[in-house]
Amino acid sequence: MEKITVKIKRFDGRESYYQKYEVPYEKGKTILWLLTMIREEQDPTLNFTSACRHAICGSCAVQINGNAFLACNTSLDEVLDTYKTMNLTFEPLKNFDVIKDLVIVWEPKMEKMEKVKPWIIPSEKGSNEHGFLQSEEEFHQIAAPTDCILCGVCASECNQLAVNQEGYLEPFILNRAYRYIVDSRDGSPQDHLQPVLENDLWKCLHCMQCVSQCPKSIPLTDQIAYLRSSTMQMGAVNNQGAKHAYAFHDDVKNKGRLNETMLPIKTDGLVQTALTKIPFALRMIKKGKINPLHMPKQISGIHEVRRLYEYAEEVKS
Amino acid sequence: MTLTYAFFPGCTLESAAEELMISTKKVAAVLGIELIELDGWTCCGASHIQDIDGFLSTSINARNIALAEELGVSKLITVCNTCTLMLRTAKLKMDKNENLKEKVNVGLERTGLEYKGTVEVTHLLWALLEDYGLENLKKKVKVPLKGLKVANFYGCHILMPPDVMGFENHRNPQSMEMVAEALGAECVEFDQRLACCGFHAVFPAQKEVMTMTGINCLSPKEAGADCIVTPCPLCQMQLDAYQPDAQKGFDQDITMPIIHLPQLIGLALGISPEELAIDRHVVDAIPALQRKIQAV
Repeated sequence: MEKITVKIKRFDGRESYYQKYEVPYEKGKTILWLLTMIREEQDPTLNFTSACRHAICGSCAVQINGNAFLACNTSLDEVLDTYKTMNLTFEPLKNFDVIKDLVIVWEPKMEKMEKVKPWIIPSEKGSNEHGFLQSEEEFHQIAAPTDCILCGVCASECNQLAVNQEGYLEPFILNRAYRYIVDSRDGSPQDHLQPVLENDLWKCLHCMQCVSQCPKSIPLTDQIAYLRSSTMQMGAVNNQGAKHAYAFHDDVKNKGRLNETMLPIKTDGLVQTALTKIPFALRMIKKGKINPLHMPKQISGIHEVRRLYEYAEEVKS
Repeated sequence: MTLTYAFFPGCTLESAAEELMISTKKVAAVLGIELIELDGWTCCGASHIQDIDGFLSTSINARNIALAEELGVSKLITVCNTCTLMLRTAKLKMDKNENLKEKVNVGLERTGLEYKGTVEVTHLLWALLEDYGLENLKKKVKVPLKGLKVANFYGCHILMPPDVMGFENHRNPQSMEMVAEALGAECVEFDQRLACCGFHAVFPAQKEVMTMTGINCLSPKEAGADCIVTPCPLCQMQLDAYQPDAQKGFDQDITMPIIHLPQLIGLALGISPEELAIDRHVVDAIPALQRKIQAV
């Protein structure tokens, strides 16, 4: 009979090591079935968490061959087909501390989540007597973000968190902030938004990992774009991230294309650019990659492009 | 065989990555691929403009695609991951949502254009596999890259999000390996094959992105690669032009040459490194290539 070789990263509180198991292949099973088989039939000391088996409790997410999956709603056959192998390596989620084997620590993440005040700050529009009624449209604003089951898959795959766990917020925390910012019953969106801005909002790398791996298909990157727009509407435009985005926005309006030479100056200002980017600029000039004397010409059709900008403004208002 | 595409170069091909413009055109000419550059294309927004105005981001890319539709071709081709993602995102949004498409077209009418949805947006890597064919590519190889160990660095935006990109499984893509092997090169396995280069946040997250750059260079170096090959000029710029800055944070030597996919193809087609403008890279790639490829 065909066998699956499973290597699991074990951790006993002091040391970590990989342990190998062999499981007879069965068609049509889930990843959670595979883990359960190992624990029940081969090794009762193996630790992992799971409960609902229906992608509701969010407790069984693990790393397999380098990617995060929710074990209960992931087809074993699909995973074997993805990696074209019968060898699977299981590890705990990345960007979390580990308690034992595949079990991770959630408490620090929940403490971190408190920064964005993950609760409704009631608006004056509602009251205990009359309730806090929502229209169907208002409800739909919060429908997708409330699908989050806190499985941690997005955090495990986040490339910014991988190098900045202290400063950056997990995508599920950004989702939680978004959920209250867009809630029509919340009267103080800036109280959720300000901590998001202060915790490295502009450091999202646009890598698309979170949105690509979320088992609930929550549009996390659209939410991050919304959060950034909202901070700018709040007046927070004097930071590197906003200035960088406006450099692109304005260059397209003025010339149609990006002026790469001016981009650092528009983002960081002249002084900061002079202090930090001179070695970079010199090596770029040396290789002909930057020509400080070359100014991009306006593209043909620039007047038409500006009409699109005018139209977008009309649509907004 | 002549394949004809509308060509969207993207901003970086006009300045920092001009070598990608040069090598793409050389390779296309040898392969018999006709590239008609869009007249009056704009920047795709580079994954930034939607942070200010999502509708505007869709509108400017609808215009870019509409310019391609006017040429009567079936595909618009790019050589940049992020341009591909931005154009495909705009297209998918409009094709899925008739109301949005109509709203965008009200604006486009003022420019004398209309977005119809008749043109597909593709990337050179995909077009080589889907339209040109690996067997045809193999027939054009003059200098098999035998012995050259390449590390394929995909970059995020040619893979994700999968509902927008979807050419291959984003968790285990094989297109780069298929092309590199067709050219005779040997692909090395390394941890950072599907890593993020960090380019889009190199200003606000400079410290973090330099760490990532160092890891992204060290990983293939330790796996024995002669060079990184990437289908994205933004990954190339991040890994190459910022490599001296990233080195400062590492004790080990991270030196790793970074070349563009069309440059790798061009070498196998018998085009010289100078003609492919490989001498424009910050980290000199030519010595590593010379050691391994005899005709170079």
